[in-house]
Amino acid sequence: MSTSSEARARLPETVALHARPAGAFVKCAARYAAAVEVAANGRCANAKSILEVLGLGAEGGTELVITASGDDAAAAVLELAGIVPKLG
Amino acid sequence: MAFDIVEWAAMDDSERNGFVGLVLVSHSAAIAEGLAGLVAQVAGPDVPIVTAGGGPDGSFGTDGGRVFEALRQGAEGAGSVVLMDLGSAVLSVRAALGELGAEFAAKLDVADAPLVEGAIAAGVTASTGASRDAVASAAREARSVDKF
Repeated sequence: MSTSSEARARLPETVALHARPAGAFVKCAARYAAAVEVAANGRCANAKSILEVLGLGAEGGTELVITASGDDAAAAVLELAGIVPKLG
Repeated sequence: MAFDIVEWAAMDDSERNGFVGLVLVSHSAAIAEGLAGLVAQVAGPDVPIVTAGGGPDGSFGTDGGRVFEALRQGAEGAGSVVLMDLGSAVLSVRAALGELGAEFAAKLDVADAPLVEGAIAAGVTASTGASRDAVASAAREARSVDKF
């Protein structure tokens, strides 16, 4: 059964979604089978694509909206929303 | 140097952990080695990276022998995705693939992609344990993903 899930998480004030934090985020998303997207600044990216995630241009303190669909969508969203405030 | 070919050559298959690797070919050793370092920062330490940068005398250019050796090593383990910068780098890779023969070439996927963005995308994808097809696709997507 396919499920959808969504959560919001805020980047630390001093940590933009630049190369290294984005790499950590994408590597986490890639562990899930669910399709995962992350939105910020009115743009949406495939959470498993480092270049798309970097293209969001999310600065520190930005709220990210993470959505997923698929069997493990809930777990994916839970873990990703959990790591966002800890990125650094 | 952390990403020197000689050091990488000391790895055997078991040390490659089954991760698909990258071969980075550039006219500049500094570009190739600097990019390898950047990819390792973003993607983590698991992805084997071999570089072939610069000409035979250390100048800007490509060294066919070095490219050949890099591809030969990159074909070990789970194989590699090959990224190049420009012109003779592409020609050198093609020539080396021809010399290596089908058995090696079958484990190498040459990606037509921008070098830096392609290597970052491929490296992060490879670090997740993805297949060579998926890693090469990630590299090629760099052609179309908007930077901002």
